[in-house]
Amino acid sequence: MSTVFSEEQRDCLQELINVAMGLASDKLARFLNTFVHLQVPAIELVSSAQIPAQFEARYSNTEAALVSQGFLGNDGLRGEAIVLYQLDNAHRIAALLGYDTDSASELEMLTDISSILTTTFLNGLADQIDNSLSYSAPRVLSSRQTNVSQALQETAFHWELALKVDISYQLIDHSFNCDMLLLIPGEAVSNIQHILDRILEEY
Amino acid sequence: MSEDWLTGPVLEQLNSGVLVVDEHLQLVYLNSFLQRHSSVQLSEVKGKSLFQVFTDVPEAWLRRKFASVLELQSPSFSSWEQRQYIIKLPHLRPVTSSSQYMAQNCTMLPLKDPAGRRYVCLLIEDATDAFVYQQHLQTTLEKLELSNRIDGLTQALNRRYWEDQLKLEVQRSQRYQQPLSLLLFDLDKFKQLNDQYGHLGGDSVLIELTARVRALLRDTDWFGRYGGEEFGIVLTNTALAGAIEVAERICLAVNSTAVTFHEQSIATSVSIGVAQLDAAGDRAHEVLIGQADIALYNAKREGRNRVVSFSEGETEFLLKAN
Repeated sequence: MSTVFSEEQRDCLQELINVAMGLASDKLARFLNTFVHLQVPAIELVSSAQIPAQFEARYSNTEAALVSQGFLGNDGLRGEAIVLYQLDNAHRIAALLGYDTDSASELEMLTDISSILTTTFLNGLADQIDNSLSYSAPRVLSSRQTNVSQALQETAFHWELALKVDISYQLIDHSFNCDMLLLIPGEAVSNIQHILDRILEEY
Repeated sequence: MSEDWLTGPVLEQLNSGVLVVDEHLQLVYLNSFLQRHSSVQLSEVKGKSLFQVFTDVPEAWLRRKFASVLELQSPSFSSWEQRQYIIKLPHLRPVTSSSQYMAQNCTMLPLKDPAGRRYVCLLIEDATDAFVYQQHLQTTLEKLELSNRIDGLTQALNRRYWEDQLKLEVQRSQRYQQPLSLLLFDLDKFKQLNDQYGHLGGDSVLIELTARVRALLRDTDWFGRYGGEEFGIVLTNTALAGAIEVAERICLAVNSTAVTFHEQSIATSVSIGVAQLDAAGDRAHEVLIGQADIALYNAKREGRNRVVSFSEGETEFLLKAN
């Protein structure tokens, strides 16, 4: 089975993701009552075996959180979304979301933040392809006692392809960076290719 | 669709709670599961504020969650591991669970009616089983950790754990310049005792002995079984004179009253070697054990049932004699 996307498919996917990001930042801005600027996300398709090495350097010196959430849609669209971010970033966005550390544990904040980022973005993606997604509850794969690359290795192991989306949110007074990984199993990759081909035909 | 009739009955018989509120967080719907568990009738509460009906939910937190679902039109989640429950409900395992309330996994979903009005659906799944298993696991791990450090017969610390503690206390004593003493003691003529009363008799003497000794110690002392009938006590923040005093009391407590086994009186005694930490360096704990062991040997040689403390001169003599 080929997991290689054609150039057209890749461009199409990039465009869908750009729009989804735009929709997500618009929603987040309204929700947070602040301006959210968003850079065009860089996407990259990588084999999941390469994943740990790619992130090891970025997260090796800081405490990072790794939160996973499964998604499932029509037409065989399914996978696992992983959000990676640095914990000091997490506290900044938690304050923005109105969390005080008394009423919610750190784990609860981590899962909430990543769930909001994941679902707003993926819903935007699903809307454009006339799909709709349901989600599993978010799960913290690692935080604090972190070995990010090991946690990634154990997770990525189950998947053939990873869609790496580099997201960078810029809020008025804050900047917030995170990485999102969409891990997609082999048969879902060809399903996505079919979806992309269908969209390409319509234009 | 001709299967529309299904939704109602399924919703009513679902073994999970389903609750729907409108944009103003007023109750629109509760399924039977929730009505029964919370003793609330939908007809009585419809249109009332959620927080008026369920007064002990974490209001600020839940408002924020619902606001994000309504605004972002995306789901939100809550796990029992982070927040045991949102709505206090009794569960159906009153006997097997130590928890009074149902542990809940909750999902908050955005809904729209055909007119486009927005709602939030709160799904409550009973996670009490997982909660109970988690608690069992926790207590089992604690027991395992305990059994990993104690000696099954006497309930004194086992040798490995006791030696670890000795090492740590030696380091602590060196760092904070506090005195530290060690007692090593041995049940006198244990082999003879075993031959005469059998191994069960021997065991019961060991058990009784440990209980008597423990009663004389402070919480900060480390009492462990070093070998068959040999025990060690690490006396923190104690100099030689104090250690000798403790040893004398142990000698007396063991020897003054015979142990009763199967209606027989077994007279016993112990010999005790005492040493105070003097050496420096990484192997200080081994030197200390060696010194207490020499003192114990001398106590045996001098006629048993007594306390002998280690002194520098004797080492030379004994080491040569060995």
